[in-house]
Amino acid sequence: MNTIASQFTQSASSRLQSEYADAQRDFSNAPQLNLAPTIELPPISQPTEFLRAHTDDASNPDCKIKIAHGTTTLAFRFQGGIVVAVDSRATAGNWIASQTVNKVIRINPFLLGTMAGGAADCQYWETWLGTQCRLHELREKERISVAAASKILGNLVYQYKGMGLSMGTMVCGYTKKEGPAIYYVDSDGTRMKGDLFCVGSGQTFAYGVLDSEYKWDLSVEEALYLGKRSILAATHRDAYSGGSINLYHVTENGWIYHGNHNVGDIFYDIKEKEQSFNNVDA
Amino acid sequence: MTTIASEYGNENNSVPIEHRFNPYSDNGGTVLGIAGEDFAILAGDTRIVSGYNIDSRYEPKVFDVGDNIVMTANGFAADGAALIDRFKSAFKWYKFDNNNKKLTIQSAARYIQHLLYGKRFFPFYVSTLIAGLDEEGKGAVYSYDPVGSYEREQCRAGGAAASLIMPFLDNQVNFKNQFEPGSDGRVKKPLRYLSLEEVLALVRDAFTSATERHIQVGDGLEVLIVTKDGIKKVYYPLKRD
Amino acid sequence: MAGLSFDNYQRNQYICAKGHAQPKATSTGTTIVGCKFNGGVVIAADTRATAGNIVADKNCEKLHRLAPRIWCAGAGTAADTEMVTQLIALNLELHGMWNDRQPRVITALTMLKQHLFKYQGHLGAYLICAGVDPTGAHLMSVQAHGSTDIGEYQSLGSGSLAAMAVLETKWKPNMTRDEAVLLCAEAIESGIWNDLGSGSNVDVCVMEVGKDAELLRNYLTPNVRAPKERSYKFPRGTTAILRESIREIVDVEETVIEFNKPEAMEVDA
Repeated sequence: MNTIASQFTQSASSRLQSEYADAQRDFSNAPQLNLAPTIELPPISQPTEFLRAHTDDASNPDCKIKIAHGTTTLAFRFQGGIVVAVDSRATAGNWIASQTVNKVIRINPFLLGTMAGGAADCQYWETWLGTQCRLHELREKERISVAAASKILGNLVYQYKGMGLSMGTMVCGYTKKEGPAIYYVDSDGTRMKGDLFCVGSGQTFAYGVLDSEYKWDLSVEEALYLGKRSILAATHRDAYSGGSINLYHVTENGWIYHGNHNVGDIFYDIKEKEQSFNNVDA
Repeated sequence: MTTIASEYGNENNSVPIEHRFNPYSDNGGTVLGIAGEDFAILAGDTRIVSGYNIDSRYEPKVFDVGDNIVMTANGFAADGAALIDRFKSAFKWYKFDNNNKKLTIQSAARYIQHLLYGKRFFPFYVSTLIAGLDEEGKGAVYSYDPVGSYEREQCRAGGAAASLIMPFLDNQVNFKNQFEPGSDGRVKKPLRYLSLEEVLALVRDAFTSATERHIQVGDGLEVLIVTKDGIKKVYYPLKRD
Repeated sequence: MAGLSFDNYQRNQYICAKGHAQPKATSTGTTIVGCKFNGGVVIAADTRATAGNIVADKNCEKLHRLAPRIWCAGAGTAADTEMVTQLIALNLELHGMWNDRQPRVITALTMLKQHLFKYQGHLGAYLICAGVDPTGAHLMSVQAHGSTDIGEYQSLGSGSLAAMAVLETKWKPNMTRDEAVLLCAEAIESGIWNDLGSGSNVDVCVMEVGKDAELLRNYLTPNVRAPKERSYKFPRGTTAILRESIREIVDVEETVIEFNKPEAMEVDA
């Protein structure tokens, strides 16, 4: 009887001890990266090759696991802040998985992250970035800078470099010391500050419109329209972009959502109003 | 120089045999979730397939995972079962650690993202759906890709016949490509919530039609209906050929 | 040049190597059987045609006529079974006329195997060949590469194991016509239920010595589709007419010819 009892008490106390040790380790370690969860690897010598063989649609069209991809996103700085515009289509191979994807992740009321490339990678790590930004606020009693936030993400994806993450993202936000700022971060580890970016399979089409019409002195209304119009051009020519357009404006008071605009609905309105897209029948 | 053709000739320059690591297979089947105003359903056929064989004619794959949430993970059956097991076990611990606190569908949805993304580099080969009621009591369906990107939707089909059923759902649930007669395509058919009877009729038609044209779909249809009063299970036979 | 053209073979291999998928031929992932009985032979087939996992045809015909009293059931690539069968049927007819005799089953089988062997398995035709001729009733099968088989009962196709299971348990020598038909139908049904490549209905063809062959199309229909729960009739106008253009394919010219019109009366003379 005693042996049985001692067995249980011992195992219980040792479990408690290990739990306590775990917790202590969690608190004592560097706070930032150990919050990243452990991700399981296949028990083989070349996990990346395995992943490519099973999930990379570009190198292996017959691959079984289709990961959602394909996008057009843009963000640009102008006199009145930042405009962020994105489409809403998710594709898996040639299959349109969804026309209603939310590709702008609201990291906090002052920070937005855009989503291009692997949908899960962006969604997951940008929400993770949100928690890191909140922890920064709690520790430093100050909102995180866009530079710092984007660097957390940049460092994170750099740790996973070559493992198959696929993200092209813009971290957009406003802080007192930086003003409106945009950082482009991708899964290769690139991180750069800039005034204007288009990212995704439809980026060239969006750049075409945006570059020809962009001025620093755009009014807010003009800027929002230009963002919308650039994505519209991309959805028109890029089969992997489409659905609807989500529009955001970032100011010193945080971001403002400017609605969801169905591409099918606004196309003919804009065509008629602008007398553009004349290669398309009315 | 002459060489004598022999079976042994190959062994001289043979390299070690390379075995590809292929832990995945496809067990067919199809699933479907629709959210209504005050209810949500998750339906799945009950056939399990490997190659041209039927491994089982009745193996349920839609489960009540607790707190008025139903879940399914369709594709590779072993991964699907493993995912649901992991969720159920985490659910137990959640209840145990949090004084039986109710797990909301939003929290369940986010947790499943973590389960799927936790295997980002060795993915679960499944398309996952959950259904239940949100905090306002409105029907909710969440759908996932294999590595955890997720979205709340009105309806979603997953699995083998997803490409057959999803366009039907777009048209019949979200009234895509339907216009008000006489409006010359300017006024869309207005959206409205479907009743449970309408939804069940759509689900049955979706599955009988998928059974007609997809060889991996058939045998039986099991639907789990979530309302504020709990979860109800209904079964309809499907063609067995 | 006669025969099949392999002109694009290398090009297609190259394109495939680049990662483009080859177009899928409709394959009749099939169950076909045949069985002899006292005084004749019967063959049967299911009616499902598939392209990958999709059912391409729910009620296709897999029983082909080679000669009025020689029929064969085909499994494999739908186009190949169809064309090979038609070619041999044609040659059999000419052969019969030249020799002024009824064609024999063994002749059909020899022609089939020689043709298929020539193409080294590239023609994906797997056939059960049966019929009655002046030498009696015969049942044989031929595989894509040209090998042949003779036996009292046969099964071929993806559902052949399911069908053979039935044949092996229930076949007995010296069956009557009705027993043989029932056995074949049951074997096919086993394929329909247990093999995903087979489905829908059962077709049967009975060939009795001294009688015309009898094709029992859709002998069993155990898979009738249940009526739909809802009507999917859209109100007229649900699909908008965005543009309308009407083309006059035929020019309509109107010429009025009047007959028996009285001459205008001369008024001023």
